[in-house]
Parts: sequence; structure tokens; C-alpha cells
Amino acid sequence: MDLQPIHPEPKSFLRRYVFSLDHKVIAKQFLWAGLLFLLFGGTLAMMIRWQWAYPMKPVPILGPLLLSKTGGAITPALYPAIFTMHGLIMIFFAITPILIGAFGNYTIPLMIGARDMAFPTLNMLSFWTFLVSQGLMIAAFFQKMGAAAAGWTTYPPLSDSVGTPGWGQTLAVLAIFVTGVSTIMGGINYVTTVIRFRAPGMTYMRMPLTVWGLWLTSILNILFVPVLGSGGLLLLLDRLFGTQFFIAGASAVNGGGDPLVFQHLFWIFGHPEVYILILPAWGILCDLLSFFARKPAYFYKGSVYAMVAVTLLSAVVYGHHMYVTGMSPLLGKGFMTFTVMISVPAEILFVNWLLTITKGSIRLEPPMLFALGTVFVFGLGGLTGLFLAIMSMDLYLHDTMFVVGHFHLTMASASFLASLAGIYFWYPKMFGREMNKTLGYAHFWLSTVFITLVFTGQLVAGYSGQQRRLFEPYQYQFLHHLLGVNQWTSYFAFALYFTQILFVYNFVASMFLGEKAAENPWQVGTLDWATPSPPPHHNFDVVPLVLRGPHELSDPEVIRSLGRDWIGQAEALPDERPVAEPARAAEGGRA
Amino acid sequence: MTKAKRALQAVALSALTLLPAVARAGVVVAQGLGLPPDASQDGHKIDGLIHETLIFIGIMFAIMVAWMVTACLIHGRKHRAEYAHTTPRGQKLLVAIVGVLVLADAELYLKSLFDMNDTFWNFEAADQAKDVVRIEVNAHQWAWQARYAGPDGRFNTADDIVTLNDFRVPQGAPVLIQLTSTDVIHSFYLPNFRVKQDAMPGMVNRLWFKPMETGEYEIGCAQHCGVNHYKMRALLTVLPKEAYDRWAAEASANSARGFDADDVVAHWGWDWKDPKPVEGDVPRAAEQAPKSQNGKEG
Repeated sequence: MDLQPIHPEPKSFLRRYVFSLDHKVIAKQFLWAGLLFLLFGGTLAMMIRWQWAYPMKPVPILGPLLLSKTGGAITPALYPAIFTMHGLIMIFFAITPILIGAFGNYTIPLMIGARDMAFPTLNMLSFWTFLVSQGLMIAAFFQKMGAAAAGWTTYPPLSDSVGTPGWGQTLAVLAIFVTGVSTIMGGINYVTTVIRFRAPGMTYMRMPLTVWGLWLTSILNILFVPVLGSGGLLLLLDRLFGTQFFIAGASAVNGGGDPLVFQHLFWIFGHPEVYILILPAWGILCDLLSFFARKPAYFYKGSVYAMVAVTLLSAVVYGHHMYVTGMSPLLGKGFMTFTVMISVPAEILFVNWLLTITKGSIRLEPPMLFALGTVFVFGLGGLTGLFLAIMSMDLYLHDTMFVVGHFHLTMASASFLASLAGIYFWYPKMFGREMNKTLGYAHFWLSTVFITLVFTGQLVAGYSGQQRRLFEPYQYQFLHHLLGVNQWTSYFAFALYFTQILFVYNFVASMFLGEKAAENPWQVGTLDWATPSPPPHHNFDVVPLVLRGPHELSDPEVIRSLGRDWIGQAEALPDERPVAEPARAAEGGRA
Repeated sequence: MTKAKRALQAVALSALTLLPAVARAGVVVAQGLGLPPDASQDGHKIDGLIHETLIFIGIMFAIMVAWMVTACLIHGRKHRAEYAHTTPRGQKLLVAIVGVLVLADAELYLKSLFDMNDTFWNFEAADQAKDVVRIEVNAHQWAWQARYAGPDGRFNTADDIVTLNDFRVPQGAPVLIQLTSTDVIHSFYLPNFRVKQDAMPGMVNRLWFKPMETGEYEIGCAQHCGVNHYKMRALLTVLPKEAYDRWAAEASANSARGFDADDVVAHWGWDWKDPKPVEGDVPRAAEQAPKSQNGKEG
């Protein structure tokens, strides 16, 4: 039976653009939803930075608009809500939909030669469930006692109904639960699609590394988001129905539960989550560095196995978030051992990137610049992780701004810049238009310089001892001298924020003013670029027969016979007989 | 396109005018840089590791940046790309770089492991020291309560010294703290002594350090604990031995005089927990712990 029949393109506006089953439309829906929330989350970050630079002074522009009751200033009670919502929004409602929702949906079917996802209806449901969760997040802002304020980690007992009363916290926890449902639906879809819908000849070892990254991320999502879901559900029961799973101390009645259990549940999910957010970025990097250096990705198999190793180890390192919670020293040492071990595959991947760009023919187009920028910030962020992995240094640095700087460099900056690399790269395919390159260059240099300065500033403050999440750090005498550092970090943050105007303009205006994009403007061989820009509803008229890996660039034989330095994954050389690998061809019936 | 180029030039020029400001930023940052003064016996072990790691990652980062810049400069558009999925030289380089990183990681790992075993988690040694100062800490929103056992060496008795946000310890003696929290999770953070430990409701956690320099030092809360988290600040005063003894005797006598046996809520102390060996061993029975009349925990 034909697994992938060509469905007719729906005609009504509603089925085409709103309740669409087309993975390409759903990808764009995720992209818009994610970019919008990136703006929200970024704005909240600016408010935090303002408070640290000018404590208790009225916030310009936003203050009169949103905080008229306090004369525009942020209050100690509002402040925790700002950083809590910033964290939750950025992680679950901005990076996740862009990297996984948008790129996952857009690239997986196109790159593996499929006509759509395995479960298009589930795909649509995944987006609409996600939209519900975003709505819950927005609703949390308008509750009487304020939005969620227990930190993005939501540790009980602070997050219970005594520590943070009101519907704001409840709705935020509910939103995380609902977004988890959406993520699992997406994850099941991606995993199945990759396993079942690869075009004939598209063996695992011929998949673009972008797909590898997204696939491994989806596996992690399916495995560990349910753990977060159960933690969140128990927390909701504690908040709403008087159970005491995580409540101890004064607010516990008759024994109570154990707050530490929540931390275990949270970080069993929380640490894989770091890799959930970075694996797609790594995959995109591997591919882009190869494409724009015009040579094969160095040691493809090594990169694949490194990513697989990171995926496997990601669940057994989580305890390094809990070195100072009072867990058993033996457990702490075990987690330290695994944490040091997980750096090895990451290092292999990193050196592979450097070797990919060595002896290439590098084209510094905007996507490549952003990819290089990602390598740069990830390198800095990854190296600073060493301080936190090693237990005795963590005794001092734990819960300081150093941690904040570290994870913003690895998780936030790297996935942000990688997202931008992906957007600049796939924009012509997605929207059929070219983005403006000059604006792209300006956007790259300003963004990368400022983002590095912002989070290096946080590293400096943390190194000097400043704790996280302080409304007014200068209550402490030993932090007085950090006002200057914090102010400058804030200036760079504001500059970074306003730099994004370049991107917003370029992104929106290019849809109307950009030059019409060619089918394959970057001259690369993966299947997504073997379709028209933008691709038709069913992607491929004929499901392609894949003959080679994704990075066959600058092959002398190809240059000799085709006169160009790239060859499509499904393109046969003049004297080549187009057969898929025997093992795959035997399965048959795919096309 | 020319318009865009002109715009870019304008941006570049205005960036140049910002240079003095950026230089000033560098100076400000440099002034802020640095670990707080170390007043403890063992903090230098952590500082040493931090400095060592800093130098190491500085070198690795410089190599990385130099590599990227060189590759972009000399292997640009005009260079002919090499067609190879792996090269013998590349593989050797890969093994060498990862090898160096692994060795450095291992060195830091082992040093830290020894430091943890010998020092930071060696509560038994601290507890057995003759001059050890034992303090029970009860954290709550948003203050640190301290309890000293007083001359009888037993907690929760009439001669206990109980203070709020005011810790006093003698110079040169190990300070062993057992801490818990009444309400939410707090984190007891002593930047000048390089240690930190969460105070968890329902659990008694431990922490020890040896203050070497007299003076006043700040204690902070490092775990978000609600609206006034930023104000949860206490002072730790390191006194010369005699001054400390004088203070302790006087404070304890005052406590005994003001003791109210009926004020049950004020008796939040607990029987001192026997410090278990760091790992592996079977915990000893608690028979060494002095019996007190009331084992209630905060």
C-alpha cells in the first residue's frame, strides 16, 4: 500500500492557513508563536536588567504603560514574577517552539524526502494544544495575586499554595503541563516520521545532522517530558486539593511530604531539557558549517555517535543541579563523574566543527556567520560549565550569577543564534523570498558581540559572588562594587534587545520586498533544496531515491562531471546507476 | 543596496564613537572582577581550583577563537575546499584535543574529590575537634536564627544562646553548622568562606568551615525564597578567642535568666545529629548524642 499518497491541497482559507495539516504551515505557525513569545520574554529580561542597573527607578516606556500603580517602578513582589515568567516563557514558549516546533516540522519531512509527517492531525493538535498553553501563560499575568513567582524551577514549598498563593502560579504550572502534552504529541510524530517515512535510500547514516539532532531531541522529549508532567501534576494536586507530596515544614500537616523529591523529578527532566534545546542547534550547526565551508561535515559518524552518547548520558547527570541540597555525598560524586563524562562527546562534536571549517572554502553568508557565532558562544558557555561540574567550585558558585551566565551562553545564546542561523538559512525555502544580506550582516555582528558581552557580564558578577534572583543586589555590602558591572551588562542587554529591530524588519519586509528565491540558493545537496521555493503542498512529486550522504560538497568527481561543487542526495552522476542500498530497497513500497 | 551600505557605514561610524565608552566599561568591569576576600582555612583550595580552571579554559578558548579566525581568513571563498570526510591528521588532532581536555577534567575532578573527602565533607573531623563550635540554624522567611548549645553542650536547654541574623564565632576553630528551614528552601551562603548549603524544610543539612581572619562578614541567601529573598542577609563576626568566650558566657547567662519553659515555640532546637562518616560506612548509633528533653524540629 502507498504509505504517502498525494493529498489534494485544501482550498478554504481555514483549512489552508489556520487548521492546516501541512507540516510546512504548522512550522510557520510555531515560528510566529515562538517569535512573539521571544519578544515577550526578552522584554521581561529588559525589566530585570533595568532593575539591576537602576534599582527602584521607574522603568522607561514600559513603566508608565504597565506599572502605573507604583509610578512605573518594579516592586519586590513583582520582581520574582518577572524573572519566573521570563524563564518559563523563554524555555517552553520561545526556544522550544522555534527550534523544535518550527524547524522540526519544516525540515524533517523535507530533509528525509517525505510528503508530510506521519500523523498530520496529531501535528495540528500539537500546535493548537501549544497555543492553549501559551494562552494559559498570558492569563497568569492577569491574576489577582500576580503571575507565577516561584522561579522557573518552581521548587516547593515556595511554589505551594502557602508560599505563592493565587491563580498565577497555578495557571503557569498548568501551562507547563499542557505544553508538555503538545511536546509529546510533536515528539511521537517526529520520531515515527523519521523511522517510517525516510525516502528509499535515506539510511540513518545518510540523514542530515539537523534531522539527527531533532530526532534525538524528540526521543528525549518523549522520555522525559512525562516526568516533568508527573511532577507538575503532583504539584497542582498540592496546590489545589490539599495533598502534601512536596510540602514539609511549617505548612505541612501530619507529616507532609518531601520537597527534595520534586527537585529530583524536575531535574530528571530539567537536565535532558538542556540537551533537548541544544541538540537541534548542534545538528543545524553541523550541517551549516559543512554547507558554507563547501566540504563534507568532518567525521559525520563521530558526530552522530557523539550526539547519541550525549542523549544517553543526559539523564544521569542531572544531580549536578543539586550538589548543595544535602543529598548523599556518594550520589553527588556519582553525578560529578557522569557530568565530567558527558563533556567528552560534546568535545568530540566541537572539534568536528572546527575540523569541518578547516581547509574549506568558507562563504561568510549570514547563516554561516550565525553558525560560527553559535560555535563561539557555545564554546565559551561550555568551558565555563567546568567550574560548575566540579563539586568544590560549585560550593562557591552555585546559585550565583555565574550559573546564570553559563546557562544563558550555552542554552540561551547558542540556541538563539542557532535559531537565527536556521531562519536565515531556510527563509528562502519557507517564504520563497530572499532576506536582505546587509541587514543580516549588521544583525549578526551586533547580536553576537552584545550577547557575548551581556552574559560575560553575568559571569563576572557571579564570579564576584552575586547571588541569582536578587531584587536589589546592593543590599549586600560585598556586592556594592558590582553596580558598575551590572549597569554595563544592562546597557549591552538593551543594545542587544534593540538590535533585534533589524531582524524584525528584515524578517517581515523581506516577505514582500525580498527578491524571489531560487530553488537552491545556497547550492547544497539535501532534499529540502531539491524542491521549489516554497515547496508545493505535497513536497515531492516523486518521492526521491536517495543515493548519497547530505554533505557531498567539493567532490572532484562531481566537479569534473557536473561542473559544480555540489550534488543532490538523490541526484545520479551521468554514469551512475540509481539504486538505493540493497538493504533498504528490499523493504520496498515506500514510494 | 547602496542605501543599505550607507546605512551600514553609519552604524559602523557610530559604533566607533562608542569606543571610549566601551573602554570605560572595561575598566569598570575590571574593578568588579575578583573573588571576595577569603577568610577561611580551606577556601584557598576552591580558589586554587577556580584559578587553575580559569587559566585552562582561557587557553582553550583562545585556541578555539584563533582556529576559527584563521580558518575563515585563509580558507575563504578563494581557497579550494578539501574533499575528505575524515583525515588521518584530523583524527590525530581530535584525539589529542579531547585527550588534553579529558586529562585536565580528570585532574580537576580528582583534586575536587580529594578536597571534598578530606575537607568540605569531612564533618567527622570537624566534629571531633576539641574546640569545635556547634551551631544549629533555623532559616525562615526572611531571617537566619542561630542556636548555640551553651556551657552544658546540649541543645534546647535553658542556657542556649539564640540569635537572629547575628552569628559570632571564634577565630581559628572549626564551625560546624546543622541547618534546616521552617518554611521554604533557603540557601546558607558564606561568600568569604566559599561554602554554601541549602536549608531544606524537613531535613537537617550540614556545613562546616574554619574562620581564620577576624572581622565582620556577610551571610546571604542563595536560593529564591520569596518576596524578600534579597533582604535575607545576616552577619558573621569572627572574634578573637577570648572575646568570643566572653561574649558566649555573657549571652548564655542572659539566656538562662530569661528562659521561659512554657514558650514551646521558642524551643525549636534539636538533638545534635551525629555526623556520619562521609560515605559508605554504616552509620554509628546516635548514643554519643547528648540526650535532651525535647527533640522537636523547627
